[in-house]
Amino acid sequence: MKIKKIIIGILILGIVGVFVAYKMYNKPHVKVDEVATDIASTANKILEDFTADETIANSKYLEKIIEVKGEISEIKIVKEKGIITLKTNDDFGSVLCHLSAEATKEISTLQTGQTITLKGICTGYLMDVILVKSEIIN
Amino acid sequence: MKSIITILCCFLCATMSTGQERYLTKNGTINFFSKAPIENITADNNQVLSIIDATNNQMAISILMKSFLFKKALMQEHFNENYVESDKYPKATFKGDLLNFDAVNETVRVVKVKGILTIHGISKEITIDANMAKIKEAILVDGEFIINLADFEIEIPAVVANNIAKNIRVSFNFNHEPYNK
Repeated sequence: MKIKKIIIGILILGIVGVFVAYKMYNKPHVKVDEVATDIASTANKILEDFTADETIANSKYLEKIIEVKGEISEIKIVKEKGIITLKTNDDFGSVLCHLSAEATKEISTLQTGQTITLKGICTGYLMDVILVKSEIIN
Repeated sequence: MKSIITILCCFLCATMSTGQERYLTKNGTINFFSKAPIENITADNNQVLSIIDATNNQMAISILMKSFLFKKALMQEHFNENYVESDKYPKATFKGDLLNFDAVNETVRVVKVKGILTIHGISKEITIDANMAKIKEAILVDGEFIINLADFEIEIPAVVANNIAKNIRVSFNFNHEPYNK
C-alpha cells in the first residue's frame, strides 16, 4: 500500500515536472503591446543619453520596453517590415524603430513630419538607437 | 566601443567632403543557423550597420547582439545571457579590406573580404568570399561563412551539446546605398 502511494507520488511529480519544463521551453516572447512601458521618453533624449555615455545608456535602456515620442523623418518598408526613423537634433543619429508585422499593416496611415509615439524593445546603439518589435501607440 | 564610433565618425565626416564614395545600409540582414541532432536553431538580425568605403576599399560592419531574434524566447534568453554574454559584449564587429573590389559591376562576382571579426570580445582574422554586384547606385553584398564557437570562447554546456552545433553557419545580405547627408 505504502509503496503504491510513493510510486503514484513520484509519477505525479514526474508529470508536473515534464509539463513545467515544456512550458518553460515554449515560453512566449514578450508581447510589446500588452506589457507595461519601462521608460517613456523622446527620441532626442534617448539619443542624447547614448551619445553621452553608451555604457550607462546600455544598462538603462537595453531590453527595456521603451515608449518614444518623436517626429517621423523617414518611413520605409524593407522585406515586408516597416522601419520608421525618428528625427533628433543630432545630424547623424536618429531613433530607428523596426515595426512588428501588425504595426507594419498600419504604416500607410503615417506621414513624414507627423509626431508619433512608438513602443518597442531597445536593442542598442550603432549610428542610431534601435528599437525592435515596435507598435504604434498614436 | 569608442573606436567603432570614431571609425564611423571618420567615415561620415569624410563622406561630406567627397560625396558618392561611401555606401551604407542600416538594415542589413544576418542570419545564423545551427544544425544539431536534437534541434535546428536559427536567428535573424535585420538591423545590421554596414559601410563600404570605395576610396580605400574598406568595409566596416557593426552588429547588435540583442537584435538577433529567435523563434523561442528561451533560446534568445540563453543566447544573450549564457553564450554571447551580450550585456558584457553588446556588439560584434567586422572591419576589413575588399581585396578585388575595383572589378565590381552589374554582374555578380566573388570578392574576397579579409579582416578582423570580433565576437564575444575575441578578435579573429577571417577571409570570406562574398558575392558583390553594383546595380544602379546600390552595392549588393551577400554570402555565408562558418564560425567555430570555440574560436570565440563561446562555451556550450555539456547538457545542451546535442542541441547546439559547434560550427554555426552565418549568412549575410546587405544592400548598401550611397550615403550623402
